[in-house]
Amino acid sequence: MSTPPLSVLVVDDEPPARERLARLVAELPGWAVAGTCATGRQAIDQVERLKPAVVLLDIRMPGMSGIEAARHLSALEAPPAIVFTTAYDQYALEAFEAHAVGYLLKPVRQERLQQALRHAARLTGPVLRDLGAGANDLAVRNHVAVRVQDELRLVAVPDIVYFQAEQKYVTVRHIAGEELIEESLKQLEEEFADNFVRIHRSLLVAVARIEALERLPDGNYRVRLRHNAGYLPVSRRRLSELKGRLGRGR
Amino acid sequence: MSRNGAGDIFARYGPRKFRDDTTVTSTFDRLKRALGRSTFAPDAPDDFFLPDFCGARMVFAIVLFGELVALCLTLARAGGAPFLTELARVSFFTQWLGLTAAALLCFARKALARLPVWLATLGVFAILILDTALLSAAVVWIGGLLLPSGYGNLFARDLWPFMLRNSMICVIVAAMLLRYFFVSHQWRHQVRAEARSRIHALQARIRPHFLFNSMNTIASLTRSDPARAEEAVEDLADLFRATLRDSETLLSIKEELELTRIYQRIEMLRLGDRLKVTWDVADLPMRAFIPALTIQPLLENAIYHGIEPIDTGGCVRIHGHCDDDTITIRITNPVSAERAVSERSGNQLALENIRERLELAYGPRGQLSVEPLETEYRVTMRFPLEL
Repeated sequence: MSTPPLSVLVVDDEPPARERLARLVAELPGWAVAGTCATGRQAIDQVERLKPAVVLLDIRMPGMSGIEAARHLSALEAPPAIVFTTAYDQYALEAFEAHAVGYLLKPVRQERLQQALRHAARLTGPVLRDLGAGANDLAVRNHVAVRVQDELRLVAVPDIVYFQAEQKYVTVRHIAGEELIEESLKQLEEEFADNFVRIHRSLLVAVARIEALERLPDGNYRVRLRHNAGYLPVSRRRLSELKGRLGRGR
Repeated sequence: MSRNGAGDIFARYGPRKFRDDTTVTSTFDRLKRALGRSTFAPDAPDDFFLPDFCGARMVFAIVLFGELVALCLTLARAGGAPFLTELARVSFFTQWLGLTAAALLCFARKALARLPVWLATLGVFAILILDTALLSAAVVWIGGLLLPSGYGNLFARDLWPFMLRNSMICVIVAAMLLRYFFVSHQWRHQVRAEARSRIHALQARIRPHFLFNSMNTIASLTRSDPARAEEAVEDLADLFRATLRDSETLLSIKEELELTRIYQRIEMLRLGDRLKVTWDVADLPMRAFIPALTIQPLLENAIYHGIEPIDTGGCVRIHGHCDDDTITIRITNPVSAERAVSERSGNQLALENIRERLELAYGPRGQLSVEPLETEYRVTMRFPLEL
């Protein structure tokens, strides 16, 4: 007897592209469309709900790029295999070739689709981190993923006030609370260098969240956060860089 | 079934028809005007190294040059008559020679331009020597007539040495002048060629991103909505024909707006409700000229950087008005909250390209300014009204 078809989730922000891809998958024997969705965020919800075998993920999508969505997906307990789709993204394609990551060029040919689905692989975090290198807008995430038990929770980067390193984890302090993530402060600092500044060995703060730099009577410095969110200590080593960033305007 | 009015207009005055029927000269005239306006290419109606001697500016230059030669000759002369008397005498001759030569060359220029360069150069020398000889003879003759009155001693009396001396001076000075004309003509030629090749390099190109996405949309529509797919192929063909056109072409604003609307129609298929465009261009003089593919890439930019990154989409506003002799076109797009801070290097490239093309076409009067505001991105293009 034939095995049940493997399920595919199609993610693309453009309706015609989504429809066509879903149709091509449906026409392939042995494969079935589990669902379609339009954004990276929806994709993460759908993957958790539908548990597809493969996700066809468009790279350029509003809000959250396909590469970012893949990074969050790879943090799941049982991540799906991922095949990226794109109309044209030179940098990304070079990275895909270099890391042997499956991708499809739009308009997609059915034979190529079949091959890619057959060879689709689960991607690991480090590979995904490298993929965006060269295309800045793809490499920098708009969200930070937090895993709470088996659920993936996303914190939008503009909502983050600061990251604080503790022994093993990093605490993400955002406008609606705080979460723990398993990433190093150094990596976060590199990735979000445009909008965050290191003010202390253990603190990485959003520049836009800093209201003022204050000098204390004992000669030390601290920053006052906007919206009465409190104070954070500034170490002497980081002082000049911080002054530079604040002086440059936000 | 026919498309809406906009499409029909374009079909009637579309780029192909435009090029075939409106004859080559009109395109050439526009090119000339475009080049003539810019700072690097002064008046150059044809390709002949000898300048046009009929114009007032040239005559003034000749008078000035004649006076400088007279000053040189007078300074070089040792002793004899008082300096100013001597200067007046020599100036009298050089001015007459200069003006008559200018008049002769003014008439002869057309004929000379048809000859090979070496023959034309010889012709100029022949005209100048003949002019000098005649003038010298006239001076001697008038001097002879005035002899009884006592003024005659101001004039040369021996015809042949006088004529010979003048001709020698004339040949030397003319040789230097012609050399100068020739070199500066070559230089102008080169500058113009460089400008032209720069315009070619800057020719607006359709982003590959757009091409492949459109192909994908068409592939999808072929089955679900063949009529729209057909229309999309026609639109895409029109758009590509426009980008393949000679990059120096000026279009009427009406044609450029049509191209932009065609582009919008293709993007609407892909982005659906996410893309809205409001047009506020009724004020623009539709027959005025604009370099081809300037508004369209600005809309493309606004969609690529403004609308696509926002999942709910947004509205691009195109506003145009004309006051006195300047046309202003402004395109505004929303900025997504996430992208607001990050830089937009790819964007700058396309804008730089349009800015440079406007400058090449209009000199300092062609401008492009960018205002990255908190929630909006505004690009304003200004250029002189040309009907």
